[in-house]
Amino acid sequence: MTNPSALLSISGLHAGYGAMDVLHDVSIEVGAGEFVCVIGANTAGKSTLLRTISGLVAARGSIRFDGTELVGRPSHVIPALGIAHVPEGRHVFPEMTVEENVMLGAYAVRSAGDLAARCDRVLTMFPRLRERLTQLAGTLSGGEQQMAAIGRALMLQPRLLLLDEPSHGLAPKIVDELHDTFLAVSRTGTSILLVEQNTTLALSVAGRGYVLESGRVVLSGTSTELSGNDAVRSAYLGL
Amino acid sequence: MSGLSPRQWTGLALLAALAIALPFAFEPRGYGIRILCLALLFAAMAQAWNIVAGLANQISLGHAAFFGIGAYTSTLLLIHFGITPWLGMFAAAILGGAAALLISLPTMRLRGHYFALATLAFGEVMRVIGNSWGGLTGGPVGISVPFAQPSLALMQFRETRSSYWLMLAALVVVTLVFVAIKRSRLGYRLRAIKENADAAEVIGVDTTRTKIIAAVISGALTAALGTLYAQFQFFFDPDTVFGVASVSVRMAMIAIVGGIGTAAGPILGALFVIPLEEFANQVFSAQAAGLSQLVFGLLLILVILIEPRGFMAIGPRLQRLLRKGDRR
Repeated sequence: MTNPSALLSISGLHAGYGAMDVLHDVSIEVGAGEFVCVIGANTAGKSTLLRTISGLVAARGSIRFDGTELVGRPSHVIPALGIAHVPEGRHVFPEMTVEENVMLGAYAVRSAGDLAARCDRVLTMFPRLRERLTQLAGTLSGGEQQMAAIGRALMLQPRLLLLDEPSHGLAPKIVDELHDTFLAVSRTGTSILLVEQNTTLALSVAGRGYVLESGRVVLSGTSTELSGNDAVRSAYLGL
Repeated sequence: MSGLSPRQWTGLALLAALAIALPFAFEPRGYGIRILCLALLFAAMAQAWNIVAGLANQISLGHAAFFGIGAYTSTLLLIHFGITPWLGMFAAAILGGAAALLISLPTMRLRGHYFALATLAFGEVMRVIGNSWGGLTGGPVGISVPFAQPSLALMQFRETRSSYWLMLAALVVVTLVFVAIKRSRLGYRLRAIKENADAAEVIGVDTTRTKIIAAVISGALTAALGTLYAQFQFFFDPDTVFGVASVSVRMAMIAIVGGIGTAAGPILGALFVIPLEEFANQVFSAQAAGLSQLVFGLLLILVILIEPRGFMAIGPRLQRLLRKGDRR
């Protein structure tokens, strides 16, 4: 299903570290406003896929974002194109306040202007962060740190949000909250590419998904299709 | 410093007045005021080092390279072309900045120990060059700043207290640069790199370029301070100005003892470390060879064991202790 109007269109992508390729001939698409997930076991290459899109990993093949080729571009120019990445393990700046963390999301790219308004929108989405603006990010709970990291990414007003294992290491109750957070972000029209080991969570929020195994796409379809697929049910949903 | 309260402003003004008046409490050409001068100079050097190391956590052990380049640049310009050290200082800063750019291009992609070791090697390379290139530097014999009639134009003074005020001014300038950077966009980028380089990269910080800009500023300032050192000591050799222990490690140690990444840390650190070193020398050097260094080293180890984050962390720690006491 090649769709020329897709916002993100990855085709024939090979990527890895040094001489080792982790991704082999991967092709993935994300349409404008679409919520897509990539599921798979540990070491399947899910994080590498997102890191490659962000330019942190060297790649061959093609990653086209809204008509612009991303392969070969340095990582720091990618956010300005409209792609925000929330790295695995949350990665807030622990010794900065929540406010500084969130503001830095836009500060770094010099979009300035309506910074305060943007910040306000983000904080409206995450009221918990507003209560903790002056607290050091390192002292937040895991779920709150995840909110801060997502909030920081949203300051860019990205057209595509890359989420790397957001549920990792969070209590089940917090994971439920994340579920609502994702849907809230998605409702604003932002396209999301979510990488998750928590297959149940991923398939319940995303409209469509890909299954990655040892660096190759082995299956794709709508979330309903994938949830009904026997292989997915036995391998990832434990049913 | 828009965030200071009137009370803090008053405190700062009193401190400034005290710092300016302090030399009058010392013998004009005595030993004490010379130690004070060196303490101020090293405070400024540690502050310059603090720009890269404190804000971005790129711990350089090669800043002697820039310091030595600065000392030699202005001195050679003075000897061969009669150029005043005031101008020589700017030439020194330009060369120091250029050297920092050169060494940063390959090393700023490194982190942690790898960066420290690479910069350590760079400093040592400069020391070896200084010793071997006798035609330019005078080699291991050292080089003397030509002694003239004391004059402000040649940055030579009759009274040590004039040197003191010069060092004080240099410290104020470098500290203001540090504070300005820390509060700027550049400062936020550096702090983002320090706390999480990958996260900084994915929010659009060009981490390598940011670190290089900071390194160039830091290297240029360090080189300019090398000029002040040359004009103060009148004599130096490659082993002193390019020395690992005498310059590179001492700069780092002062900032760390005082509180790395803070504006007051290098100042507190220098006012503690430099006099302590002299004190240890005076009291113990007559007793047994190496004893003074041993005592000095042990005292420093003790400080770091008690508070690894430096003097600047002791205040908040005491406050916390007191608050706990109140609750009880």
